[in-house]
Amino acid sequence: MKQKPKVLSIILAGGRVDELNVLTAHRPKSAVPFGGFARVIDFPLSNLMQSGLELVAILSQYRSFSLISHIGIGGAWDMLGRYRGVSILPPSQGFGQSSWYRGSADAVFQNLDFIQFHNPETILILSGDHVYHMDYREILAYHREKEADCTIACLEVPLDKAHRFGVAEIDDEDGELGGRVVQYQEKPVEARCNWASMTVYCFRPEVLYDLLAVNAREDDSFEFGRNIIPRLLAGSYRVYGYKFYGYWGYTRTIDEYWQTSMDMLGPAPKIRIEEWGLRTNLDHRRTCDCQPLKVGPDAAIHNSLIYNGCLIEGTVENSILFPGVHVKPGAMVRDSVLFFNNVVGRDSRLDKVVSDVNVSFGHGAHLGEPGDPLAKRATVVGWNNQIPDGIVIGAGCTLYPGLAPDQLSRSVIPAGEVVR
Amino acid sequence: MSWGDDKTLVLLLAGGVGSRLNVLVQTRAKPAVPFAGIYRIIDFSLSNIMNSGFSQVGVLTQYKPLSLMQHIGTGEAWDFTGRTRGVKILPPRTGSSDSDWYKGTADAVRQNIDFIKAYPSKELIILSGDHIYRMELDEMLHFHRRKRADMTIGMMVVPREQIHQFGAGIINSEGRIVEWEEKPKVPRTDLASMGIYVFDTAYLLRMLETFRDDLDFGMDIIPKAIASDQVFAYPFRGYWRDVGTIQAYWEANMDLLRADAPITPAAWGIRPNPAAEGRPADRTPARFTGGCTVQNSLIAAGCIIEGTVVNSVLSPGVKVGKGATVRDSILLHDCVVEEGATVDLAILDKRVQVGQGAVVGSGSEKEVANRKQPKHLYTGITLIGKEAEVPANTTIGRNCVIAPYRKGGDYPGSNIATGESV
Repeated sequence: MKQKPKVLSIILAGGRVDELNVLTAHRPKSAVPFGGFARVIDFPLSNLMQSGLELVAILSQYRSFSLISHIGIGGAWDMLGRYRGVSILPPSQGFGQSSWYRGSADAVFQNLDFIQFHNPETILILSGDHVYHMDYREILAYHREKEADCTIACLEVPLDKAHRFGVAEIDDEDGELGGRVVQYQEKPVEARCNWASMTVYCFRPEVLYDLLAVNAREDDSFEFGRNIIPRLLAGSYRVYGYKFYGYWGYTRTIDEYWQTSMDMLGPAPKIRIEEWGLRTNLDHRRTCDCQPLKVGPDAAIHNSLIYNGCLIEGTVENSILFPGVHVKPGAMVRDSVLFFNNVVGRDSRLDKVVSDVNVSFGHGAHLGEPGDPLAKRATVVGWNNQIPDGIVIGAGCTLYPGLAPDQLSRSVIPAGEVVR
Repeated sequence: MSWGDDKTLVLLLAGGVGSRLNVLVQTRAKPAVPFAGIYRIIDFSLSNIMNSGFSQVGVLTQYKPLSLMQHIGTGEAWDFTGRTRGVKILPPRTGSSDSDWYKGTADAVRQNIDFIKAYPSKELIILSGDHIYRMELDEMLHFHRRKRADMTIGMMVVPREQIHQFGAGIINSEGRIVEWEEKPKVPRTDLASMGIYVFDTAYLLRMLETFRDDLDFGMDIIPKAIASDQVFAYPFRGYWRDVGTIQAYWEANMDLLRADAPITPAAWGIRPNPAAEGRPADRTPARFTGGCTVQNSLIAAGCIIEGTVVNSVLSPGVKVGKGATVRDSILLHDCVVEEGATVDLAILDKRVQVGQGAVVGSGSEKEVANRKQPKHLYTGITLIGKEAEVPANTTIGRNCVIAPYRKGGDYPGSNIATGESV
């Protein structure tokens, strides 16, 4: 008989990351389009669905509309039913103290009533910001086997990159599988260990409740990485590290977003999207109504991912195109990621451009610089922009969303400039 | 708004066998035949109904209805779910005295009089689920009301040499039909019936009850209605195709590829139902590898193109391997064309496997018709049935038919000559 779920999964999807700037001007990072048809949060949601974990809460406060539209009723991930569901939990007012979510831990703490109502045996906390494929049943099994209070999924990173993450030292208790976490540093200036936390945590509920209460009472910062994990290690809790060996992509900066996108391409893509079984909500933006991609008689397409609803009459190389992109004759799109409904005008040229929804590029416009894409920074264009005919915009430029025509009235915008 | 007397009920006739579509209708009804990559033929009618603002629909099925029923599902894809919205599948029933298999269009409607009465309506629209077109049915309804007609027939101008396939009407200066000929041998008009009717519901019920032995609208009911009542022709001027033959099906798919394509499903507001395909959202963007060549084609999500695709329509999940070529062809869902294989002027049903180095559509004798079914295949198109395998290095000629589910052992040799069937 189907029992009530024993695991409650919580996705931390509220954050806006300043480094992604214009892409997150109007949406949380978890709702940023990714992979030609999906959103970043589709990765953890699809992982949950495939792991059979279908009771999910999403904590969100930054411009949630795009996220709410995307999640819908959760049916896209089969999370709709008697014991299945997705609940989006925004900050709310109550009799007691009310505030915005002051951090990831505070967001969970403010929703303890929801969590305790479901009375789970294990709480799985995930970030909505990462690109990876993981069977959560394995870490949950390890967590139970170890009778751990908290188990953290970790990925080995080079020591010189460790300062960007929360990093753990894991002992040899279970070899390649994992072991006890013996020390933990959050974004250390000088890292002593290099197993980076993937922001995938399994918690024993009572332990989590206690620590969140202490954190709320005593600390002035409310983050899992900075506050809760160190408190676990300072106390006499059983904290384990579960070692993950697959691909883990992050999208904190535009160039990381670009690189993670490019990891979907090439003869041996690191993101094996066909095998991962990524699901998205095709009702969002009525993606399901798009007709198949139409390729014109003089088009050329190489090493690219292109979804339904596009019309390609020019050349597309090493690029990812979302539904509704029109590449007109003579245009060249290289090393770029174009979100929904971009129009690339005749004889224009895009090199290493990341362009948000509803951008039109005028005839003969040149953005970015040709050549080795790794040698220069991406040019990023915010949504609802009209790029004028014949303009030249250098590499690494940033164009804010919805610029007025006079802000783009110059014939050349030099490399690296920010237009806002 | 609630269900009131001024409501319009729609009946969609989806029972047709469409036998000239050969192996494509061996496992499904004609309205369920896939079209334009991600659609089925019936999506055009269902979307026209939705876009015209009608929301109570009965779908009359008879022949191999399973894929059709699964495709329509709850009707949610066409917004047919809600308090006053719905789509009902109406198969033939036994039990009451005059129920039996549907013996004709009028008979099918007569056997569902209980459904018609259960949803009281002022007018009833009857149309077929077999055609590729975009039409504003609400405009036709307004025309019907303006003319105070008992019945209105959607009609279009066709070349005179094709009129023998249609019901033909002769109209007076007001647009009233004064003479009717069903499939005339000698053309006297170029105005052809599209099989789309608006009836005053009460009038239709009276006709069906008065002429209890009449089985068909075109043959029986319409001539009587014209003789004594107000029957008007509603003129339609647009793209309309009956894709009931292999040649017409192929040509209509090719029409999609033209720069000025006369068929634009998305712009027409045609909705598919990807959810009914199973694992719908698992279709990832189409992947094009380095070194592939794609020209003048329609490529659905989930395809992986490593070889060459020219002038072709590919449904979701088709794989074209390195060095393989697909030209002037239609490949339905999840076909695989392995390395070095060639598919030229062919229609491949779902999940066909073309082995390494095989050739489907070989030789220049495109005019040598299929021996068994010369009226189905006579222009060079070769047909491969659902889930059939073409073994590696096999050569198949023009106008050939490979039946569904055929595997390597079913082939008489590695060369299937033009016009032969397996």
